[in-house]
Amino acid sequence: MSELKQIFDTINLGLVIMDRELQVRHWNRWMARCSKIAPEEILGRRIFDFFPMLEHHLSFQRNCKSVLAFGSYAFFSQKLHHYLFPFPPANSFEVKFEQMQQSCTMGPLRDESRAITGLFLTVEDMTENAANEQRLIEMNSQDALTGVYNRRYLETRIREEFGRHRRYSRRLTLIMFDIDHFKMVNDNHGHPCGDFILQSVAGAVAARIRVTDCLARYGGEEFSCLLQETDLASGMLLAERFRRQVEEMEHNYRGTKVRITISLGVSELRDDDTLEQFVKRADEAMYRAKTGGRNRVCPEPERFELPFNSQLIAAEGPLAGERPFHS
Amino acid sequence: MESELQLIGTEEKDILQEIMNIAFGNAAAELAQVINIFVVLSVPYIRVLMARELPEYIKSEVTGCDSVSIVEQDFWGDFQGNALLVFQSGAGRELAFMLNGDDGIFEPGVTDRFESEILMEVGNILIGACVGKLAELLGDVIQYSPPKVLIENHANDALPQNFFDASCSAIILKTMFRFNDKDIGGFLFLVASHESIGWLKGALAKFMAQYDE
Repeated sequence: MSELKQIFDTINLGLVIMDRELQVRHWNRWMARCSKIAPEEILGRRIFDFFPMLEHHLSFQRNCKSVLAFGSYAFFSQKLHHYLFPFPPANSFEVKFEQMQQSCTMGPLRDESRAITGLFLTVEDMTENAANEQRLIEMNSQDALTGVYNRRYLETRIREEFGRHRRYSRRLTLIMFDIDHFKMVNDNHGHPCGDFILQSVAGAVAARIRVTDCLARYGGEEFSCLLQETDLASGMLLAERFRRQVEEMEHNYRGTKVRITISLGVSELRDDDTLEQFVKRADEAMYRAKTGGRNRVCPEPERFELPFNSQLIAAEGPLAGERPFHS
Repeated sequence: MESELQLIGTEEKDILQEIMNIAFGNAAAELAQVINIFVVLSVPYIRVLMARELPEYIKSEVTGCDSVSIVEQDFWGDFQGNALLVFQSGAGRELAFMLNGDDGIFEPGVTDRFESEILMEVGNILIGACVGKLAELLGDVIQYSPPKVLIENHANDALPQNFFDASCSAIILKTMFRFNDKDIGGFLFLVASHESIGWLKGALAKFMAQYDE
């Protein structure tokens, strides 16, 4: 047995050699083990006979053609494609993925006259890396208590959306809100009850937003919600819905019934904004909602400062009949 | 920028420019024909520089965008060096359509998170086609390292200086590319390593000999 053949069959990597018609010429033990297809079954047959899904796999088709036409190297990243061959994950305890996550590469094989006679394919099991990466991403972007995004992730998203606003003039609105008198909840009912309320408020608001929106715990009892393709008026409407929903909730923590309210501020991104100004205006609007009596929604000030009261009336519009802002 | 080094003569430079022009034309034609990728490549341009001047050169050539991402791939045969693809920041998201096809094989959000993966895939295709066709005309066979993203969304005027061995001189082959139906483009720089310049001169002479006979 040649040295190369020994490596071919013991390496911890799937190795396949195919001719120009994509008929399998070599199929190593790793591939046989994962696919449960023995070399003698597949040798001389087209890869599509055993893996018909590859016939419609855009990248697989394109990469094969590009390797055979240009003699170039090609690859399939696990992050984009997840896998090429539908194999079960090798470790059964890793239930995050239904299929083994794979990183694959491809390259040309030439004969003595340098003509491309076929191609090789390597398959690497990336399931464990992908699972670790997913865990890291979750830990890095989620708030552990409430399960909504954390502040770090929100700030990244604001930065990205900010760029998109600049390039395509997309509208972007931010709601900031804070649970009223949260300290009293903690003092009167204990921190576990406070945590429970944070979770149920976050859950209730999260259920009301689109997947493209981003709800995050900004810190303590303060939350932010970033709304794509949304103007100030629509942001105000949504904020009012949050407010009403939370007001109507009764939190039942181990027999203790607690009701709470939230105060909200809304800002819309302006063309000449900096990131900080955009966030600061929502924060200031929320502060005005607090000082104005809590359990209410305040918009950012209009560009040309109006007296405090007339601003609220002007921006409140459709909600005027539903809720007295100046009670 | 220092005066151009005399690594290759004016005539050799003209021939190389001509060969590149043909090679990149072939690459674009085959990309369209074989894998339905439509790319326009500008008439290539050649310069001889010290490698340490490269960041400054890229900065001066790549205008119109504040920050860039660079995909790098090494290639080796008799002709060897590095290929650098310079994209403006955010191009990956726009290029996802090329890999994604009409059916949208990627799940939503993936193309935002893995912009660099898309740049590498698109870059690999473009570099493979251009370098492959150039090598073919010069009678060489090339192998490639996997591509890597050298720089992601980095300010264009603050590129790191340590791209290459600073003392190395290099022939820089530059072309601009643009994907036909999208307003996305960038620059392709091929940096021929110092070691392969001797071979390159021989290959250029051989290429010309076909016509002299």
